[in-house]
Amino acid sequence: MKAVCWMGKENMQVHNVPDPTILNPRDAIVRITSTCICGSDLHLYDGYVPTMEQGDIMGHEFMGEVVEVGPGVSRDKLKVGDRVVVPFTIACGNCPSCQDKLWSCCDNSNPNAWIAEKMMGYSPSGLFGYTHMLGGYAGGQAQYARVPFADIGPIKIPDGIPDEKVVFLSDIFPTGYMGAENCNIRPGDTVAVWGCGPVGQFAIRSCFMLGAGRVIAIDRVPERLEMARAAGAETLNFDEVDVLEALREMTGNQGPDACMDVVGMEASGHGIVFAMDKAKQMMRASMDRPIVVRQAIIACKKGGTVSVPGVYASFIDNVPMGAYVNKGLTMKTGQTHMMRYMQPLLERIQNGDIDPSFVISHVLPIDQAPEAYKTFRDKRDRCTKVVLKPWESAMAA
Amino acid sequence: MTPQHSQLSFDRDSKDLLSSKGILVGAAALMAYGITRRSKTSLALATAGGLMALNASRSHNPSHAHTRATFLVNASPEQAYQLWRDFSNLARFMRHVKSVEVLDETHSEWVVLGPMDREIRWYAEIIEDVKNERISWRSRPDSLVQTSGSVEFRPHRAGRGTYVSATVRYTPGGKLSKTIATMLGKHPQFMVREDLRRFKALLEAGETPTTLGQSHGPRGVHGSVEQVLFRETGNLAAPQAAQAYSKTA
Repeated sequence: MKAVCWMGKENMQVHNVPDPTILNPRDAIVRITSTCICGSDLHLYDGYVPTMEQGDIMGHEFMGEVVEVGPGVSRDKLKVGDRVVVPFTIACGNCPSCQDKLWSCCDNSNPNAWIAEKMMGYSPSGLFGYTHMLGGYAGGQAQYARVPFADIGPIKIPDGIPDEKVVFLSDIFPTGYMGAENCNIRPGDTVAVWGCGPVGQFAIRSCFMLGAGRVIAIDRVPERLEMARAAGAETLNFDEVDVLEALREMTGNQGPDACMDVVGMEASGHGIVFAMDKAKQMMRASMDRPIVVRQAIIACKKGGTVSVPGVYASFIDNVPMGAYVNKGLTMKTGQTHMMRYMQPLLERIQNGDIDPSFVISHVLPIDQAPEAYKTFRDKRDRCTKVVLKPWESAMAA
Repeated sequence: MTPQHSQLSFDRDSKDLLSSKGILVGAAALMAYGITRRSKTSLALATAGGLMALNASRSHNPSHAHTRATFLVNASPEQAYQLWRDFSNLARFMRHVKSVEVLDETHSEWVVLGPMDREIRWYAEIIEDVKNERISWRSRPDSLVQTSGSVEFRPHRAGRGTYVSATVRYTPGGKLSKTIATMLGKHPQFMVREDLRRFKALLEAGETPTTLGQSHGPRGVHGSVEQVLFRETGNLAAPQAAQAYSKTA
């Protein structure tokens, strides 16, 4: 089959690799019809996350048709022919974490848990198409994928809804939604959202769904700010204004009730501290550039909440802990507990509350993935979200 | 049924490779490789190499090992005890164990994969068996390997499952004790913890997670080496179907 392989920093290649097979009783094999490039894939593309290896198959946002199921999957849960969206986190369903619905913290799905334990104390769940520290499972930017614990994760999609409306249930819609839920929004609250990429767009819309009165969206890419305004957000371009001063003015010297970092480890900014972060990252003295989370802590209202759906890889420094403590803030984080959100959000799509396909800018055959990574990373060609079609050959897209 | 002595001899080279001298050489190579490769893993590799070298230079091969690990599993003591008490299950979660054949109520024959994939055999007997609480075993006195182990099952006070504690001892005296010590590596604790982690997965999820044998693109030299570290390849037995014993399965 064709698969997008990570071959090194800024080096993605499409290779012909063996088709996946059932390795464990609760596995299934999915023939992929749509798969996406995620912002978190760009952290791998840029080579900032350790324990990637040459030949790793990328991709954790995919959907398709079940073509094979293992003997451990009961047929009333999943059977050949089912159309499914696969969540990016892998969860066993039976460990204490899964029982607490902390699906992205599953105890049993990471075969390399010991590596993650060295860094984090305890290991979160395995992920598709990510680092070996988080399982090293072959991903879904391919024609087929092996899905472990297939009786727990994949959600069945009725015929009649196009892929483009539901494929984002695999990650970015639930991730934006959980980021908003983590803001503890009370009716009328003001939420500041750093980052208007695809997750940020869903986060903004989710804040309004959960009752926010105002959403202030921060970015510098014009088409992304435009997209945020289309959802009803007010926008700030951090190249043009001092974000902290603007937020102070807009909130009457109170600060936003909640601040959301939908940027993570590769944030951009200005000034001397940003320059230091950038230098440290280039020298591999640090993996993360934590500009946004620092700014969010300073910007947040006293007693407010900082929600961090953005991805961080390791340690960050110069965190304004004094502000965090003295203002009595709460920080809420986590990879998305996918299985909490997929069904309710599918219902919202079916009800017409939201059509997630608004975020798509490019639909391309899988052969064009290497260029698509670059376009997406450089935010060229008004690129906001790339959907790859594994079975379409290269043609005019 | 007699132990197979023929497969137990070791040539000098393979022994030396696994001695601390060998590790030093390997660690130096890792450092050199890490430093020259100039990629995102280079720093990690070089650091790992350095730490290995430091470790190897500081420590000597342990002549015996006594290790213990504890995991909380989402199952009752009865369920955990049942899975463990059938010793033929041990090979499904003990990484180095190739097979355990149950000979009778208390006796079993163990086959373990040592360095270079050599098979090491011994006979063990159960010396303590308290239903749903504790199982202890040890190798028979005439075995070539002197080893013993025990496992305890204690319920969580608030009913959140069972604490499973495993203790494994390898003691000097046997002809193969040094081989065993080599197999356990510098951190025998690691092996016991990983075995117990797999026991928990088998009990809760009915299988142990794996990427062994999955598809991937061309790995290159460096990737092929790391495949072993990341357990995408290795000498493990293929995973087998099992009944999940957890509360919900």
